[in-house]
Amino acid sequence: MNLSRRELLKMGLLAVCGTVIPLGALEILKPEAAASLIRPFSEKKRWAFVVDTTKCVGCGMCAKACKLENEIPFDTEVQRTWVERYVQLKDGEVIIDSPHGARYGFTKNDPQGKEINEDDVAKGLFVPKLCNQCEKPSCVQVCPVGATYKTDDGVVLVDRGWCIGCGYCITNCPYLARFFHPITNTADKCTFCYHRIKKGMNTACMDACSFGARKIGLLNDPASEVFKIISTHRVMVLKPEYGNEPQVFYIGLDDIVR
Amino acid sequence: MSHAWRPLFVVLAVMISIIVFRVIFVPSDFVAKNGDYKFQWHRLSSEEVWKNFPVKHKGRDFCQQCHSELVNKIKDSGHQHVQCENCHAMFEPGKKSHPIDLKDDFGYLLEIGIERSRELCKRCHAELPYRPQTYVITKGTTAETVKFKMIDPTKHNPGIECVMCHDVHSAGFKTAGK
Repeated sequence: MNLSRRELLKMGLLAVCGTVIPLGALEILKPEAAASLIRPFSEKKRWAFVVDTTKCVGCGMCAKACKLENEIPFDTEVQRTWVERYVQLKDGEVIIDSPHGARYGFTKNDPQGKEINEDDVAKGLFVPKLCNQCEKPSCVQVCPVGATYKTDDGVVLVDRGWCIGCGYCITNCPYLARFFHPITNTADKCTFCYHRIKKGMNTACMDACSFGARKIGLLNDPASEVFKIISTHRVMVLKPEYGNEPQVFYIGLDDIVR
Repeated sequence: MSHAWRPLFVVLAVMISIIVFRVIFVPSDFVAKNGDYKFQWHRLSSEEVWKNFPVKHKGRDFCQQCHSELVNKIKDSGHQHVQCENCHAMFEPGKKSHPIDLKDDFGYLLEIGIERSRELCKRCHAELPYRPQTYVITKGTTAETVKFKMIDPTKHNPGIECVMCHDVHSAGFKTAGK
């Protein structure tokens, strides 16, 4: 092969330049990214949830309503949504509890069943929890039979007739949002009350909340309250380090919250 | 034919049996929606199953059909955001006390009764140091921040039902003759 020194340098330089262009620089070529330049909001629907922990009083009406609405046997210790109590004492100790998933509410200052003096409490808060309906749900990725899946509008559901009950999804959820349904013996989880939101209603937990601590709505919809809150308030998600892209956004979290 | 080809027949037989198994046992609507094998690989009929799950909490509009007086009363009170079902949906069997069978007549599936225990009121009104001190109610068109009334249940008339003195639906005291 006949290659001059000039040509070799030229081609070498070109190859080096070509390889150092990061794939991210080509992002603009993706159809969704191009479409977003023309229309500011994507037309794809996506359900999301906002929890305002500064409003939650820990009455547990959400947990009660959820159990009754979704036919989870009331006396069993499994729940689709629950409320956790975080209490930090003045000596720095953090006590976390959620008696019976808070379906009977918090009526006493007795975290972990130990009554504590009001003067010892430095701070405390209630954190309602539910399935985060992740954009990249790790529970779905591990299902060996395709019994759990994400719908087009972002809700993760379980096909009860197809689930074999292996429990991989339950152990893989970083938010511990899944459990075995004691009657169907399949994996079960919060569905964002799919049967209600699809009919234009709110979730059972949101309706049951007297203090407006829970809100459901569509992302990408400028009219939805959830979208307004997420785009104008300071919100946080739980455990972002897992990379699941959770879609339940919290107002007023603290670093003691797990 | 050389004996070296025999394993190939075994492989082919296994492949065919897998295909036959799949055709027989996997329903035709089991697909990867939108070509997304990672997150949307499922039976499409399952989405319909979840959409058709029965709605149980029907809210105030349902109760209003008969109890419009009570519903209107609570809408003007400090309890305006408390749903009827929060207190009246019973989770203990045997506490059901609604005179009309709502299930047969209205297709309403929750068990409705009256709960008078202190435990129910304490879920919101027991004093805890980390409970929010205020909440928001709307009066007419304006939102108003009001103090959240909390009591120490060990000191505030222990042993007596709250409804002895308090009218839940007006969130005030009971008046004479009512």
